[in-house]
Amino acid sequence: MEDSHSSLFNLGILDTLTDDQLHEILDNYNAFCNATQSLLGGAGDLSYGAQFVSNVHTLCKHGLESLVLDHFLKILEETFERNGASRFWRHFDPYTDFVGLNKNDDINIDEDEIESVLYNALEEISIEKQYQEKCLLILVHALQSFKDQMSEERHNFEAERNYLTSKYQWIVSSVLMTTLPRVFPVILHWYFKRRLEELSTMVDVEFTDDVSPNKDGMDLDEKGKVCNKDVEMDVDECYSARRFSENSRLVKNIGKVVLGLRSLGFTSMAEDAYASAIFLLLKAKVYNVAGDDFRSSVLQSIQSWIQAVPLQFLHALLVYLGDSVSYESTSSGLKSPLAPQPSSFCPGIDTPSEGLVRWKLRLEYFAYETLQDLRIAKLFEIIVDYPESSPAIEDLKLCLEYTGQHSKLVESFISALRYRLLTAGASTNDILHQYVSTIKALRTIDPAGVFLEAVGEPIRDYLKGRRDTIKCIVTMLTDGTGGNSSASGNPGDSLLEELNRDEEIQENFGIDDDFNTDDRQAWINATRWQPDPVEADPLKGSRNQRKVDILGMIVGIIGSKDQLVHEYRTMLAEKLLNKSDYDIDSEIRTLELLKIHFGESSLQKCEIMLNDLIGSKRVNTNIKATISQPSQTSVEVDDNAISMDKIAATIISSNFWPPIQDEPLNLPEPVDQLLSDYSKRFSEIKTPRKLQWKKSLGTVKLELQFEDRVVPFTVSPVLASIIMKFQDQTSWSSKNLAAAIGIPVDVLNRRIHFWISKGIIAESPGGDSSDHVYTIMENMAETSRNAGGSGNTQELLGGDEEEDRSVASVENQLRKEMTVYEMFCIADPPYDKSLQQLQSFLSGLVSEEKLELRDGVYFLKK
Amino acid sequence: MACCCFMDLDAQDETCGICRMAFDGCCPDCKLPGDDCPLIWGACNHAFHLHCILKWVNSQTSQAHCPMCRREWQFKG
Repeated sequence: MEDSHSSLFNLGILDTLTDDQLHEILDNYNAFCNATQSLLGGAGDLSYGAQFVSNVHTLCKHGLESLVLDHFLKILEETFERNGASRFWRHFDPYTDFVGLNKNDDINIDEDEIESVLYNALEEISIEKQYQEKCLLILVHALQSFKDQMSEERHNFEAERNYLTSKYQWIVSSVLMTTLPRVFPVILHWYFKRRLEELSTMVDVEFTDDVSPNKDGMDLDEKGKVCNKDVEMDVDECYSARRFSENSRLVKNIGKVVLGLRSLGFTSMAEDAYASAIFLLLKAKVYNVAGDDFRSSVLQSIQSWIQAVPLQFLHALLVYLGDSVSYESTSSGLKSPLAPQPSSFCPGIDTPSEGLVRWKLRLEYFAYETLQDLRIAKLFEIIVDYPESSPAIEDLKLCLEYTGQHSKLVESFISALRYRLLTAGASTNDILHQYVSTIKALRTIDPAGVFLEAVGEPIRDYLKGRRDTIKCIVTMLTDGTGGNSSASGNPGDSLLEELNRDEEIQENFGIDDDFNTDDRQAWINATRWQPDPVEADPLKGSRNQRKVDILGMIVGIIGSKDQLVHEYRTMLAEKLLNKSDYDIDSEIRTLELLKIHFGESSLQKCEIMLNDLIGSKRVNTNIKATISQPSQTSVEVDDNAISMDKIAATIISSNFWPPIQDEPLNLPEPVDQLLSDYSKRFSEIKTPRKLQWKKSLGTVKLELQFEDRVVPFTVSPVLASIIMKFQDQTSWSSKNLAAAIGIPVDVLNRRIHFWISKGIIAESPGGDSSDHVYTIMENMAETSRNAGGSGNTQELLGGDEEEDRSVASVENQLRKEMTVYEMFCIADPPYDKSLQQLQSFLSGLVSEEKLELRDGVYFLKK
Repeated sequence: MACCCFMDLDAQDETCGICRMAFDGCCPDCKLPGDDCPLIWGACNHAFHLHCILKWVNSQTSQAHCPMCRREWQFKG
C-alpha cells in the first residue's frame, strides 16, 4: 500500500513508462474490467478466476492496486444494486399500499404469504451476498498472493480481508438504506407483531395452566427453570413437548429473520420492529388484564406475564442470535449501540445477560407506566368504590413509586373532580364521602399528604361555598350510619370510625403540640426524618405538620373547630330533645371521642347537656317515687287525670343549651294539670329550683280510637293538642281552634296538614274566606276516599321538618338576627334598585336631615 | 298517653355575686351545673354558689360577712 500511494502522487513516474509498459497496463486493465464484470455478473461462474488473478497481479506490479480496488468495489456496488437490492425490494412491491396504515391496524393480507415473501427475499439476497463475498475473497487472495511474491515478510492477511469485508458491508447496507421503500418497516413490524401474538397465545395457554407456580419470584432464570420444569413434569408430556418444540421453532424462525436483517445492516430496524411489537403486545395485555374491575391487583399477573412471554421470547432470541452470531459479529461490523451484546451473553449460566436485564427493565417500566395511566384515568371511579378498590390503589402506588409521575395523577384527578363531583348536582354528603375516600385512598399512595394537599384543595374550596357543609360533616362525625340522606349508607364512610382510630394518634399529637417534647422523643423524631417529595410545596410546612389526618382535613373545610362544635351542639340538642328514653350511650361515646380530638374545654357545654339528660333520668325516677306519698299541696285528682308514670321530663340547664324555639301552647287540661303537679313535686325535691315548661317541645305517643279502628301515633305536643280538641267537638273552625290551642291561625293551618294528610281530619271552606272548618273523619271509608294515604303507619314527629325542629338551627339563629335586613332584601316587591339608586335615595334622606353620612357610613340622625 | 316535656332549671335570673357566673350555671371550679354545684342562701337572703361562699367564708380570719351587704354571714334555715 505504501509504495502504491507514493507512486500515485509521483507524476515523474509517468515519464519513465515505456510504450510496452503502457500497452501492458491498458490490456490488463481492460481484461481486468471484463473479468470483474463477468465474475460478478456471472451467476456463480468462477471460471474467470485464474485470468482475473493474473490481471490483478500485473496491475499491482505497476502500482495500480488502488485503482483495482476502487474499480472492483464500484462494480460490486453496481451489481449489488442491480442484482441484490432492487430484486430484494421487488418482493415487497405488492404491499406498497400498506405504507399509510397505522401500526396498530391489522393488515389484511395472507399471513403465510407475507411471511414466505420475507423468507424468500432474505434467502435470495443472502445467496447473492454470499456469492459477492466469495468474489471479494478472490480479489483479496489475488492481492495477497501478489504481495507474497513481492516481499518476504508476511502481510497481515486478516486485516486486509476485514477491511474489505467491512467495506463491502457498508456498501450493502448503504445501498439498501438508500433504496429502502417505506413499506418495509411496516411489514417488519407486522411480521413481528403476528409472530409474537402467536407465541403469546401459545404461552398463554401454558401460562394459565401454570399460574400458581409463576405467582412470585422475580428472578428471571429461576422463572425460566420453573417453567421448563413444569413443562417437563406436565402429565401430558407429549403435548407439552410438542408445544415446547413448536415454541422454539417459532423463536428460531424469528431469530433467522433477525439474523438475515442484521447481515443486511438492518440491525436497529429489526430491533425497533420487534421492540415495538413487544410493546404493543404488552400494552394490549395490560389493557386486557386491567379492566374496570378494581377489586383485584393486576400488577402481579402483568409481571408474571412479562416473565412468561416477552422475556422468554427475548431470552430464546438472544440465545439463538448469540450462538450463531459469534463468528459474524466481527464481520458485520455494524452494531447499534442499543443492540444487546451477544458476546456477553452466555447461555446456560444462571445470571441473566445484561441485555435481557435491560429489556426487563424497559418492559416493566413500560407496563408500570401504562397501568398507571390507565388507573389515573379511572381514579375517580376507583375512589368512588374505595374500600373495595384498594387493590387497584395498591397497584397504582407501586406504579407511581416506579415512574414517579405523581403530578400526572394530581392534574388528571383534579380535572375529573371538577367535572364530575364539584357540580351543583352532587349532594354535599356525596362530595364529603368522596373527599373522605380520596383522603383514605391517597393516604396509601402518598403518606406525606403532599399530593393530597393539591388534590383536596378544589374540594375544600368548593365545600366552603356550600351552606349545608357543616351540618353534613357533623352528621358524618356523629352518626354511625354515615349520613341520613345519602343512599350510600356505608358504615365504612363514617367519620366516627375515624374518630375511634385516631385516638392513639391524637395522644401523640398532643405531645407534638407541646413544646416540652422530651429529648428522647425528639431523637426518635429526628431518626425518622425523611425528606419531602420534590413536589412538596415548601410554603406548606414540613412533613411532620402535614401528617395526613382526616379529621383535621375535614375540620379544615369548616375553618375552625369552634364552628364545628357549635353545629354539633345544635344537632346534639335536637337529638337529645327528641329522645323519650334517656338512652344516650352512643352520644356519650361520641362526645368522649370528640373531646379527645377537639379538647375538653370546647365541648364543656355539650357535656353539660348530656349530664342534664342523666340528671333528668334520676329526677324523673325520684319524682315518680313520690307518687305513693301524695304531694303536700296536691289537689284532688279528677277522672281525667293522667298517671304520673306516663310522663318523662327532660330537664335542661338552659344556659348551656343552644337557644330553644318555644311557641306558646295551651295543652289539654289533664296534661297541664299533670305538668304543674310534676313541677310542684320537683320544687319539693329540689328547692330552690323550679321548672319552666317548654310546652311545645317533646313527643306525645297517642292512640286514636275510631269506630272502626285504632291508630297509634307519635307526634309533637302541638299536633297532640290539636287532635285532642276533636275529642269533645268533632268540628272546629280554624279561628276557634287556634284560639283554643293558643297558637296563631297560620301556624295551625300549617300544622293541621299532618292530620289531614293522614286522613284523620278533613278540611272544608268556612263561612269567611280566611276561615276553614276542620272535621274529624270517624270512619275509614271516608278516610280512604279523602286522603289516599294510609293512617296506620306510625309516623315519628310528623309535620314539616323545618318547623318542627325544637332547636333553632344555627342557620335559623342567624336568620333571626338578619330578619331586619331580610325585610329589605326579600320584601315584596323585591328590592331591585341599583347601588346608584340606593345612594341617591339615601342622600335624599340626608338632605332631609333624617340621616347623616360620616366616613362613608349612614347614621340615623338623632 | 305518654308525654315528654322540657323544663328550665330555674333559680333566679341572676348571677352569683362572687364569681359573676349565672346561678343556673356553675362556679368556676365546677364543670357541671345543678346538683353538683348547688346554691345557698344566707340569712340576709343573698344567694351564692355554695362553693363560692364557702371559699369566701373560709378565707376570712374572723367572722365572715356577706359579700353583698356586709351583714354577718349565716346560712339560711
